[in-house]
Amino acid sequence: MKPATSLSHTLKGHTIIRVAIAYKLLAERKLSKIFGTKFVRLLKAMLAMTHQGVQSSLLALVGFLLLCVVWHLISWFTKEELPGPVATLKVLTQMLSNPFYDNGPNDKGIAIQLWYSMIRVFTGFGIGTLIAIPLGILIGSQPIIKKILYPIVNVLKPVSPLAWFPIGLAAFKSAPNATIFIIYITSLWPTLINTAFGVASIPQDHKNVARAFGFSRYKYLTKILIPYTLPHIITGLRLSIGVAWLVIVAGEMLSGGTGIGFFVWDSWNALSLEKVISAILIIGIIGLLFDKLFTSLEKLFAYGK
Amino acid sequence: MENNLVLEMPSPTVKNGEWSMQIRNLKIAFDTPKGEFVAVKNINLNVKQGEIISIIGHSGCGKSTILNAIGGFIKPAKGEVLLSGQPVKGPGPDRGFVFQHYSLLPWFSVYKNIFEAVDSVLKKVSKEEKKQIVERYINAVGLASHKHKLPSEISGGMKQRVAIARAFAINPKYLLLDEPFGALDALTKSSMHIELLKLWNMDNRSKTILMVTHDIEEAIFLSDRIVVMTNGPAATIREIVEVNLQRPRNKKEIAHEPEYIRTRDHLISLLMDKVSILDYKK
Ligand SMILES: Nc1ncnc2c1ncn2[C@@H]1O[C@H](COP(=O)(O)OP(=O)(O)O)[C@@H](O)[C@H]1O
Ligand SMILES: [Mg+2]
Repeated sequence: MKPATSLSHTLKGHTIIRVAIAYKLLAERKLSKIFGTKFVRLLKAMLAMTHQGVQSSLLALVGFLLLCVVWHLISWFTKEELPGPVATLKVLTQMLSNPFYDNGPNDKGIAIQLWYSMIRVFTGFGIGTLIAIPLGILIGSQPIIKKILYPIVNVLKPVSPLAWFPIGLAAFKSAPNATIFIIYITSLWPTLINTAFGVASIPQDHKNVARAFGFSRYKYLTKILIPYTLPHIITGLRLSIGVAWLVIVAGEMLSGGTGIGFFVWDSWNALSLEKVISAILIIGIIGLLFDKLFTSLEKLFAYGK
Repeated sequence: MENNLVLEMPSPTVKNGEWSMQIRNLKIAFDTPKGEFVAVKNINLNVKQGEIISIIGHSGCGKSTILNAIGGFIKPAKGEVLLSGQPVKGPGPDRGFVFQHYSLLPWFSVYKNIFEAVDSVLKKVSKEEKKQIVERYINAVGLASHKHKLPSEISGGMKQRVAIARAFAINPKYLLLDEPFGALDALTKSSMHIELLKLWNMDNRSKTILMVTHDIEEAIFLSDRIVVMTNGPAATIREIVEVNLQRPRNKKEIAHEPEYIRTRDHLISLLMDKVSILDYKK
């Protein structure tokens, strides 16, 4: 945007440009008369947005092309021990062209594997959320509870999901459930910490409103605490689902059977690095989609301050 | 302009012999890392029902502190505040508070901000009636066409109107206003003074209003008495100045009355005598 405007600025004196600007203004005025100024303003904003959108997509494309070049070079240097972009793309399209096939326990389509993983991720993440939000509210609003519980949180938070796996196995006697358990216990923390932080940072002004007008506990919770904390909670959820999606691959590699993590491990055993790389791409894109989903939720619930 | 509006209303209904608010020997101190900090002390003030009192003084002299003690937000170190004879134990809906920074909830519309306060305080009133009350006060402060906007979408003057409407809508006996017009431009301020008096008149001038300000002319135009503070720390009341101007007052006309000029000059001398060129050398 910047270079374009400064360029048009330097050219403003030019006759042709002047005529063009005059025509543009004329067209704007005509359109405003027909559709109203609001419509024209909206149209201009949309044009500017698509312009920006197109520009950043193009730049992103440049980045990916560069990555493909580097990738291709590495593949070429290693004499295709690492499969190149073209070979991988071939396998990827093959995988995507028949995503739902099911040939028994160890041979299922990519969509089916993803489905298993999603169910585990959302179960673990869901249980984690149900515990993290109320606990976060409690920790954030009661300094004493914070002093009691926060040291525990600080000790448990940095533990690797893999270390939790045996505990999950011992507790649930089933590998898939142990996977859900490790997702739950590692994706719990970002939501908990963000919720607690949000609640603890409620401005005194808002609390004074509640006190001055005698808000009941319930009214305080629903009309002040939750509306204020919601953006923080959603940020926490976004980070948590990111963690859950990271952990699922490791968990399913350990537990085996089904899921995208198992698929990666199985492809490696079958010596198909093309499949591994394809899975990496799919995992990355789905992670990105999760992130985008929660980012748009964040925007939706951000109130005007 | 609205400034010239003359308000034709009955005179205040003041019960004889019974103080609406009594502040007795009040002292307020804060615990600070450097030890106890005495903000105000020896504050004594008796207020009749329906009076409008202004507290005026330099920044940091403890005006908000006194108001917060009456509001029940902070506990006195010594002395007490009595409202209709009862000591203040905490915040309560018998007092409508207008905070220095509006304190509207940013996620609620103008309407919702007032409604939630009314809903919380007037427990026995039906929902339909609550809605009517909210509408009445929104209309009274002239925000009918903005009632569905968020606080971020309206001007500072409008936010202040919402805060004032919210404080009046819960029908409190006392109104505590902390520099309610401090952030407004002169024109908006003048029309807000009229809005405030209109609301006060709407209830037959039965509400007792205590207002913090640092604007001398505002204090004279609105108040029956003006409490002038000394400078802090450990500030106290320097003098209580009576404003002997007939109500309803007309902003344009009172400015020429000898009583107005006398009061203003007196206030200026009380507030400014310590300020000379020599003070700036420190
Ligand atoms: N919570 C607090 N802790 C410590 N000191 C405070 C606190 N609140 C106010 N003070 C001090 O008390 C004095 C009076 O403050 P305040 O009542 O806000 O003044 P004003 O409203 O007149 O400008 C100031 O010196 C201020 O620094
Ligand atoms: Mg103050």
